[in-house]
Amino acid sequence: MRRGPWLWAAALAVYAFLYLPLTIVVVYSFNDSRLNAEWVGFTWHWYHVLLDDHEMLLAARNSLFIAVSSSLVATLLGTMAGIAMHRYNFKLLTFMVLTPVAMPEILLGVSLLLFFIQVLNLTLGIVSILLAHITFSIGFVAVIVRARLAGMDDSIFEAARDLGASPWETFRYITFPLILPAVIAGALMAFTLSIDDFVITFFTAGVGVQTLPLRIYSMIKIAVTPEVNAVSTLLMLLTLTMIVLASRFAPDVLKGKT
Amino acid sequence: MSEQRKLSRSVRLTKWLVSSPPFLFLLLFFVAPSAIMVLASFRYPGEFGGLAPLTASDPNILQGLTLETYRFFFSEFIYSYVFLKSFIVALVTTLICLVMAYPVALLIARSPKKSRDLMVLLVILPFASNFLIRVYSWMIILGPQAAFSKMVNGVLGALGIVPVHLLFSPFAVLVGMVYVHLPFMVLPLYTNLEKHDPTLLDAAQDLGANAWQRFWRVTFPLSLPGIYSGAALVFIPVLGMFAIPDILGGTGDMLIGNLIKEQFLSTRDWPFGSTLSIMLTIAVLLIVWLAARLGGRRHYA
Amino acid sequence: MNNVADLRFIPSTLRQAQGERNKLWLLTGNPFVVYPQGVGRGCKGHSPQQHTLSLSNHERVMQLLRALMLLLCIGSAHAADTLHLYNWNNYISAQTISRFEAQCACRVVQDYYSDNEEMLAKLAAGATGYDLIVPTGNAAESLIRQRALRPLDKSALPNLKNIDPAFMNTTFDPGNKYSVPYAYTITLIGYNSEKVRNLNLPLDSWAVIFEPRYLEGLKGRVTVLDSQRELLAAALKYLGYSANDTDETHWKQARDLIIRAKPYWAAFNASSYIKELTIGNIWLVHGYSNDIFQADLDAQKAKRGFRILASIPKEGAVLALDSMVLHKSGPRPDLAHRFINFMLEGKNSSELTNLIGSGNPNLAARQYIKPEILKMPAVFPDRKQQTRLEMLHDLDRYQRRVLSRIWTEIKLR
Repeated sequence: MRRGPWLWAAALAVYAFLYLPLTIVVVYSFNDSRLNAEWVGFTWHWYHVLLDDHEMLLAARNSLFIAVSSSLVATLLGTMAGIAMHRYNFKLLTFMVLTPVAMPEILLGVSLLLFFIQVLNLTLGIVSILLAHITFSIGFVAVIVRARLAGMDDSIFEAARDLGASPWETFRYITFPLILPAVIAGALMAFTLSIDDFVITFFTAGVGVQTLPLRIYSMIKIAVTPEVNAVSTLLMLLTLTMIVLASRFAPDVLKGKT
Repeated sequence: MSEQRKLSRSVRLTKWLVSSPPFLFLLLFFVAPSAIMVLASFRYPGEFGGLAPLTASDPNILQGLTLETYRFFFSEFIYSYVFLKSFIVALVTTLICLVMAYPVALLIARSPKKSRDLMVLLVILPFASNFLIRVYSWMIILGPQAAFSKMVNGVLGALGIVPVHLLFSPFAVLVGMVYVHLPFMVLPLYTNLEKHDPTLLDAAQDLGANAWQRFWRVTFPLSLPGIYSGAALVFIPVLGMFAIPDILGGTGDMLIGNLIKEQFLSTRDWPFGSTLSIMLTIAVLLIVWLAARLGGRRHYA
Repeated sequence: MNNVADLRFIPSTLRQAQGERNKLWLLTGNPFVVYPQGVGRGCKGHSPQQHTLSLSNHERVMQLLRALMLLLCIGSAHAADTLHLYNWNNYISAQTISRFEAQCACRVVQDYYSDNEEMLAKLAAGATGYDLIVPTGNAAESLIRQRALRPLDKSALPNLKNIDPAFMNTTFDPGNKYSVPYAYTITLIGYNSEKVRNLNLPLDSWAVIFEPRYLEGLKGRVTVLDSQRELLAAALKYLGYSANDTDETHWKQARDLIIRAKPYWAAFNASSYIKELTIGNIWLVHGYSNDIFQADLDAQKAKRGFRILASIPKEGAVLALDSMVLHKSGPRPDLAHRFINFMLEGKNSSELTNLIGSGNPNLAARQYIKPEILKMPAVFPDRKQQTRLEMLHDLDRYQRRVLSRIWTEIKLR
């Protein structure tokens, strides 16, 4: 098919639009100036400031802990949900799993805030954030796992059943190894979503608990220095790695072919 | 015979074993909170913020259920105006995203298989950065001391127009919204365009259609389902956004998300915040239903 | 019975714990330990014991346990003696805190808020574990009515007599059962002395913020506070009403006044306007007295050639008295009382005033305050000016709802 010069020009312009702002963020993280205006000189200074910033390190640690824990639980529950959705065509579960993904995040954040305070009387903190993150991550993992199952030939399961395998044996020896790439991709997605989440964490974090996005937000609102650029660059590197890894395991799903 | 029955029972058992944990978890942490939110919109505000009790021993305390928040919502036009404004912002964002995403999606769809994966990855990669970072990057670019702003104001000054503030303005909010949601439009569009049969275009060309006609009469109508899903993926999140107007917006840039956030974290009027959330949910469900209706229609080239 | 080998790892971890506290904390610390709520309840800091070859089994077990606890508590070795303070941004000097920490042999952990509403909303959303909070009068009133505060033990506060009686016995806390005055600010007009020189502006009146005929010359150079109560209060005062007026028709008049003036304002801003004043981008603000003091200091330090001056409008202004209160969920009321008594000492109280120019209700602090600050009417208004100042009262839930709607209209119209 033809890819004319106009098409190339327009598409490249859009790619430039996508990358220019992020490039500026990264480049200016090395800028020897408090203002993000002109290039003055190269320095690692802001990265040193970052490493000395105890609150930032604490926020980073919280983010990592929450991301790892929530992605583990979400992967477990999401895989089960994905299998159930595909194998048993469980309509109600499908609805419950997919709706948190489709809804604007603010609705989920607000309803969880109400629920935690009014019903559970739970003090907002790490636990509330964990529960919130698991809730929205389940859907993503389930979709990835279900897509993988949908792309497989079901006759293999029938064959196993005909040969007398119990459901557990079928799962352990056939299903699980086959969906493992999707499970890993789902776990990485859940990890990335959790580390980057802002809106839902904003409502369920309460006071005294900081995650990286919350800290970046308060830095943006109160005092912007290139330290924000530095932490942004590092965070970008981390999630970049995660997404590249995930795309290795489940390339089709991440391209939107669900 | 009995072995078959045993097998089906163990299959049923497995079904419940596998579905229950996610089902119960989501029941507790998604369905229940949503129900609480619906209920909260019918309650009185708490005296010091939050919610008033449903029942209380002292009859003097405000308690029970009421429609007053809904009445309050409809009592003056300002709240419907906020919804309208958010809808318009979402619509404009979707349209701009469509115009910008189409060339990219078309290019990727028409490229050889090998480069396609790379190009798609290149579209997804900016998505790898934190959402706030992507918004912050525009604070830098549109700031009054940055090159872009100086250039624009230089041009405007030459034309005799008063200098404008690019940052903290509706323009900045729009740029931010488009930037954050562009990948969501590219992917569904590309998935759709990839499936188009190239011989259709050849046939059209043989029949004498020029490039523009080929695009408008053949490619575009066939891509409508992709456009609808992409539009839904952009429109719905934009409706609920509050961080972008918060960071990039000026004083008049209050969208429905900002209003909801304010009710919960500032005014402490939880019933009204819940009412606004319910109205937003209804709006979103309407959009989803509409997208499903439109996306399900068949188009014949 | 060679148990030494098993325990060889303990000294190295203890050494690590002492020497590389931060890194270890980052990698292995239990996150549930370092937060205000729950901190210190089960965690006592223990100093590591010498490892000798001749320990009995029992002692070795205890040593192992202590090492484990140290590892777990690495982020909060002195958790038991921690005071949790929830205070405004930039509202206490770092020197004061370190002096208190040295005096009480404890640690002060601070959390910040930039707005009373934010603090009240977070508390309403269930934040617990704060020993001490510093709310403004109307927020303190709300907390008292909610019964969220611990009554003060006056016997632990001998320095209470230092406070000017004019600031005691407020309407929101008669008898000072729950609160002790900390500092006060006045919301007034701040301006750049040079830029407004030739504009013939009535700088002693709110008209300079609200009247288009004066705003013409200031277009795009004025900011007002992004605070519902404060802006409404300024408008009400200008219209001749009380800042605590709750009549909805008066509120609507105030709203229309604000909407009429809005096109001339650059922004609603509560945080970065100080910087804008300092660099000369903004010429006139509706702001807090201590912020304007700060801007003036910065402008002088940067030798910008102009002063930032403050003026209390003749129609009146809002006085915000911030007090120290004890939240009932705070784990260490004893430390909180010590802190309050410490802050009531003249010298300690004066540090904040000298640093940020906040008003000081403490009479014993006068001798430590820089004389030029004592002369500033914006920081220490005289009796006549004091009569024009009003403290804001708390609004009830429906008034808050109406105010929120009026604020939405102000923002969007």
